[in-house]
Order: sequence, then C-alpha cells, then structure tokens
Amino acid sequence: MSKNKKVHQLQEVPEPNLLTDTFSHSLPPFIHFDGPISEYIDGEPVEFDPQTLKTRDIHITDTTFRDGQQARPPYTIDQMVKIYDLLAKLSGPNGVVRQTEFFLYTKNDRETLDRCRALGHSYPECTGWIRAVKGDFRLVKEAGLKETGMLTSCSDYHIFLKSRMDRAKAMASYLEVVDAALEAGIRPRCHLEDITRADIDGFVLPFVDELMARSAQVPEELSVKIRLCDTMGFGVSYPGVQLPRSIPKLIYTLNKKCGVPSDRLEWHGHNDFHKVHSNAATSWLYGCDAANTSLFGFGERTGNPPLEGAIMEYIALKGDLCGVDTTAITALADYMHSIGLPIPDNYPFVGRAFNTTRAGIHAGGLRQDERIYNIFDTAKLLGRPARVAITDKSGTDGAVVWVNEFLGLKGKDRINKIKIHKLARWIMDQYEEHGRLTAISDQELEAKVQEFLPEYWQRRQNQSVS
Amino acid sequence: MATVQERVIAVTARVLNVEPGSIELQDNFAADLGAESVQSVELVAMFEEEFGIEMDEDAALAVETVGSAVEFITRICKEQGRSV
Repeated sequence: MSKNKKVHQLQEVPEPNLLTDTFSHSLPPFIHFDGPISEYIDGEPVEFDPQTLKTRDIHITDTTFRDGQQARPPYTIDQMVKIYDLLAKLSGPNGVVRQTEFFLYTKNDRETLDRCRALGHSYPECTGWIRAVKGDFRLVKEAGLKETGMLTSCSDYHIFLKSRMDRAKAMASYLEVVDAALEAGIRPRCHLEDITRADIDGFVLPFVDELMARSAQVPEELSVKIRLCDTMGFGVSYPGVQLPRSIPKLIYTLNKKCGVPSDRLEWHGHNDFHKVHSNAATSWLYGCDAANTSLFGFGERTGNPPLEGAIMEYIALKGDLCGVDTTAITALADYMHSIGLPIPDNYPFVGRAFNTTRAGIHAGGLRQDERIYNIFDTAKLLGRPARVAITDKSGTDGAVVWVNEFLGLKGKDRINKIKIHKLARWIMDQYEEHGRLTAISDQELEAKVQEFLPEYWQRRQNQSVS
Repeated sequence: MATVQERVIAVTARVLNVEPGSIELQDNFAADLGAESVQSVELVAMFEEEFGIEMDEDAALAVETVGSAVEFITRICKEQGRSV
C-alpha cells in the first residue's frame, strides 16, 4: 500500500484561499453537494439528488404554541400575539416559515388564534391541532381553519398500551375523523405519532394507503398531509439503518411506495438523543418539504428542532436569504428573555455568549480579522457583533477588542493595545492581586474606560447624544 | 543627559521590577527578564512616554531584547525628530 501512496505537494499561494464560495461570511456557510446520495432500500440502490433542494419548495413549520407550550407554563394571549407577529417578520414574504399550529381547547386558545389572524399576515398560516376524536373536530369548524393536525398515533406502544385499542379499531377511529374533516372542507394533517418505533408494513402503510385513497377523491387543497412524528427522538439520519428508525427509508417509503408527494410530507422531531436538528434537515434532503420546528427548540421533554437553526440550514441549502429577516431571531430571543424564558448563554445564534470569545489567543485572531473566530457576519444578520468576555485569560488582545467594540471604532480608527495598557493592567490585577474568580462585567469595564481613556469616552458620549 | 540605553534600562527595570544593574543588552524581555503579555504592552507604553514618540504596535512588540529596543527606539526618535 505504501508503494502506491500518493505524495501530496504543498501548494504555496500568493493570496489565502478562504473558500469564500462556501464561507461568504455575509451569509451562513453554504452547503454544497458533490453528487447524488445513495441508500439501499429493499436490497436495491436508490439515489436521492440533493441538488433538487435548490428548486423544491422546502419550508419550515412551527409548533411553538403547541409542542413548545407543552414544555412551559402557558403564554399569555398578548405574549403569543407578539411572538406570532415576530414570526411573520422572520418568515418574510415567501413564507419560509409557512405555518404555525394552535391548540383550540380553551377560550384563551381561540382568542389568541383570532387576534393572530387579525394581524393580517400571510405567513405563517394559522392551523389547528386536535386529538383524533370527533368531538374535538367541532372546535376546528368553529374556528374556521382550513387545516388541522390530528393525533393519529401509529406505534403499538400508543395503540395498545396508551389507547387500549387494537390496530383495526385505531385505524377506524382515525379515519372517521379524517372523513369528517374532508366532509367539512378542512384539510386533515395526520400526525403519525411514534412512527420511529411503529410497525411500518403492518400498520403505517395500510393506514397511509387509506388516507391516499381518500385524498384521491377530494380537491388537491383538501388532500391529506402526513406528519412523521419522531415522538421519542429515535430517528436516525445516516444511511444503512433499518426501519422504522431510518429517516431516509421512512420518507422514501411514504413518498414512493404510498405515493404521498413531498409537499404533503412533514417531519416532526424530538431531541432525546441530540439528533433533532440534523434529523429535520435530513428529512428535507430525502423528500419531506416541511420541517416542523419550535422557537429555541422548546418542546416536550428535550424539545423540538430549533426554528432558528432550521432558518440557518435553509439559507445554507438554498444559498440565499429568500426573504427571511434573520434579525427577527434576535428580537424573538430578546422578547423571550423579557418574559422570563431561559436561554442558556452558550445557545447557538441567540445565547448571550454565542459569539463571545474568552481566550486571549482567540481574541487576538478576532482583532486581526473577525472572520477568523466569528461564524458569519453576526452583526449584520443578527444584530450581534462578535464579542470578547474579559477574564484573566483574555489578555490585552481581548481587552482591546472589547474597548474598540464598546467605543464603536473601526478600521484605522481602532485604538491599539498600547493605548489601553492601564486597563489591561487593572484587569490582570483583579485576578493576580485581588484573587477575583468571576468575569468582569461590561459595566465595570465601561467605568474603567471613562477613567483611563477619558477623551475616547467623551467622544462616545457625544456621539450617543447626537 | 542619560543615553538611550540608560533610559531604556531604567524604564525596563521599573516596569518589570528588576534591578537596573542586572539588565544586560542581550537580555530577552520575556525569557530573561520575565515580561508577561501585559508587561510587554506596558513597556512599549512607557517607552513612548519616556521618549515622547509613537511606535507601531506590532513592530514594537516584535522587539525581543534590550539591545534591539535601544536600536529600535533610537531609529524611531530620529524619524520623529526627537533628540536623544
């Protein structure tokens, strides 16, 4: 083997190759594919072409008010209306965030729905969520919704152990509600709960066949949608995995064997095994047009695919913002914070410290060129410039990055390390002389800038006033 | 009037808290005299103050020994019209 080993020559270049086709910095890094993806299904190779993602109408749906609300005390009506308004801003005119679903059980649920619809936004479209019982269907009719999700659990864990039914009885009860919906001119969205541990051949396919047969009898806008619910987070994204855990095979089976078109397939995941976001993105890749998500991943137990993560993935796959207003992500996080929703400091895209570097050596890189240690232009896309947190590990590099950002100095106007030597000394003394163990707050640093750099401080104050 | 060398040694001794008599021209600020990151910056700042000059940050911080600092500062003083 060593005889044939290729010798790799160093290729010196006059300019750095920053791979800007992928890492433009002005947008999240793009995802480029080399060619088709292969998966063996029923012993045959099947190809999936990821290039179709550019043209397919993949989109995001939201369950912040349904699954998201199951994970926390209820939102007030005003809070939900505010969140809905911001979701519309985030979604943009092309409906990248296409739909959001509402409970319909209480007076507050129904008032919330009415107030959100009264805002007049095209997206996200408001849909409902009910159990698959006939009594609940009345609520959908009264709310005047065009589409509702309904719980149609498909694993024997749910059919036998939870609902105390057998398969025939379960299917009959689900189809009864589907028929009622179709009769009333409301599109049913069947939530195949617990599909990743269901008997696919023995229950799922026969049930979906029935749904497709009914869909063939109604206008397109009423045809049944299928939500694949990975209720316990058992779904696996990589090739070669067996059903029912294989996401590629689940989607392919429904798509090609049952004939459910991609625009009627949706993935809904949970994060019990830390796979939630990748699984949702994988579902897009293999043929689901809709990925169901929840703001900041809030959902039952370990949560759902984070909506803001899906937004970044969408941009990465499409190679364009597609009308999305990413700054609304920060506005949503700020709002959630203001109503007491905890978001960890290190949470991607919105956590207090998501783009804050602490090590001096990283801060040194940030000082030279922010692209070295910032994932993309977070100031432009999220209104959050890259930051440094000041501790004994920050060094003068960290301190000078902090000072320049605080003073708003850019390019040749940036202050250098020499000018902030007193501040750097004060920082080190905090730890070496006073035994401090905590990071230094912005307020403390601001006070020290006023003391050590009074001219710069005054200039900043004047600019703030003007 | 003290020479550039004497003034560089005096500033170095004060900032790094070492005896002026123990400082040699070939001493490396970090390896021999124990200058840490912040002290290197403080040294440059104090040299600027002592000689009334402004130094390029990266070039000044790249100077490693006392003797090199004397040469570097002498050159900057000439360029910026400071008599030494």
